[in-house]
Amino acid sequence: MLHSLYIINKAGGLIYLKNYTDGIATLSSNEYLVLAGTFHSIHVITSKLSPVPGSSGIEVLEADLFKMFCIQTPTGTKFLLVTDPLQSNVDAIMRKIYETYADYVMKNPFYTPEMPIRADLFDLNLNKIVKQINS
Amino acid sequence: MQGTPITTKASFPTTSTAAAARAKQTGDDIWRNRTDKINAELFALTYGSLVATLVKDYEDYAEVNTQLDKMGYNIGVRLIEEFLAKSSLPKCGTFVETADVISKIGFKMFLGITPTITNWSADTKEFSIIIDENPLSEFVELPDDALLPPPASTGGSAATGLWYSNILCGVLRGALEMVLLQVDVFFVSDVLRHDDATEIRVRLVRILDEDVPASDE
Amino acid sequence: MSRDSSSVGGTAAATAPTAPHILDRNLAKTRTSETSLSAFAYVFAEMIQYSQKRVSGVEDLEKRSVGSRLLSPFLANFGHRVGLRELELTLWREKNPKRETRVLQMLIFINSVIWKSLFGKPADSLQKSTDNEDEYMLTDNDPVILKYISLPKELGSFNAGAFMAGIVEAVLDGCHFVSSSVNYLGVDTDKKKKASRVTAHSTASDTAPNSMTLLIKFDKSVLQRERTFDGK
Repeated sequence: MLHSLYIINKAGGLIYLKNYTDGIATLSSNEYLVLAGTFHSIHVITSKLSPVPGSSGIEVLEADLFKMFCIQTPTGTKFLLVTDPLQSNVDAIMRKIYETYADYVMKNPFYTPEMPIRADLFDLNLNKIVKQINS
Repeated sequence: MQGTPITTKASFPTTSTAAAARAKQTGDDIWRNRTDKINAELFALTYGSLVATLVKDYEDYAEVNTQLDKMGYNIGVRLIEEFLAKSSLPKCGTFVETADVISKIGFKMFLGITPTITNWSADTKEFSIIIDENPLSEFVELPDDALLPPPASTGGSAATGLWYSNILCGVLRGALEMVLLQVDVFFVSDVLRHDDATEIRVRLVRILDEDVPASDE
Repeated sequence: MSRDSSSVGGTAAATAPTAPHILDRNLAKTRTSETSLSAFAYVFAEMIQYSQKRVSGVEDLEKRSVGSRLLSPFLANFGHRVGLRELELTLWREKNPKRETRVLQMLIFINSVIWKSLFGKPADSLQKSTDNEDEYMLTDNDPVILKYISLPKELGSFNAGAFMAGIVEAVLDGCHFVSSSVNYLGVDTDKKKKASRVTAHSTASDTAPNSMTLLIKFDKSVLQRERTFDGK
């Protein structure tokens, strides 16, 4: 089960957020921005904490009732996926989401890189992916 | 433009055969199985329509070259995501590896061609891309006034005529900058200008710092 | 059809060009060759952004908002250049090339031959308007070149299919269906009165989010000619 998807740009700004399950408490848009910025900082800190140089930042966060996965692309964009703890195959799902982003966000002439994403076809194609998993 | 002395038969640096074979396989697989295709003529005619419109609007080939490079940059910073998403490549260890991947995966994935990487400088910071079949320039014949040879005396920066496929330089520049490689990219020759080969030169300027976001253009 | 390559450009006489002269090129070569849709999409996106930039420049100059009205003809003009060349190539390849003169035949030619050669499939439907006798509609439910484009609401009725409208207009033009070339700023008032016009409209639905219809409106003189053919 996928709960939420966050996309954070390389400066730590939240550029996309969708919740896919009911009952998720919604925060104000300002709170979400703070959340994304804070996560961005934690990501940097975790990579600095690593005893091995060149380590990535935080990749998985596990809790009793959810898991959060993060991938950072080599361009610095972060995809955060909140799932239930039993969700399998997250690597493949992430990859699919990244490809969908490359297709429907980056090839959309009306999108400016690093800015908030508003693209119907991106929403639509993400929904297809989520629907397959959540139903 | 500075010439780099090139000795024939010099052994150009190459990636390990295993890595090179892997890159080729990845590129071929993406092209064959995971790439939506479109008629190559529609693509060539569309690009031609863009260049012709720029020539008409700017009435100055040097400015058209600049505009094409800018458009390419804009494409490069977007296209890199698709390149990374589809190839799932780890970070390149060396610039030599980067060059190999540009040809075997980058060019293959987007244009269906695998240009030759050659003419490495001794410090492996510069190489050339030789394109045999350029999908951008099907049907193209340049008018005489676009063919001005680069004046050797001015270093080639002034009246250079039209570099028809200059968008490619911008694409490479933009895409590499997103993975923190700052490069200069420029056309050295083009068969459209009756040169013997179509050659793009890529020069590594510096490796950008990860913690400092790249400046906007 | 060969031509002495040394006569080209004057200065090239000394070097033997390795590339064959453009006129010696085998035109059949690329008929079926393909490149990635992505490469097209990136170039097309730049074309659209360039059009937007140019149009907003005009808006500033005129000190009034012209909205997205200018954007369509501007983009159509890019398509127009493509359409003229595509028509030439297509006719050159036809076994029995002939210039269509009848409206219906012309539309079928666009729907099946041109569309197929450009997009690998015919359009999905061709209809005659029930409201206006000079209007026809060509619908593509999934136009490949619009695959990645989400239109922002602020652009109103603008549809990136204007590019295809330009292609179709050029084909009509090349076949003498009195579609004067559309000046890309849409201010070519002289010719405006006498033209078959093609415009692109979204016909999106839940199942076909990219569906697009070209509205082809023929010039009066075309319909008159049609009546002459019919002996009416």
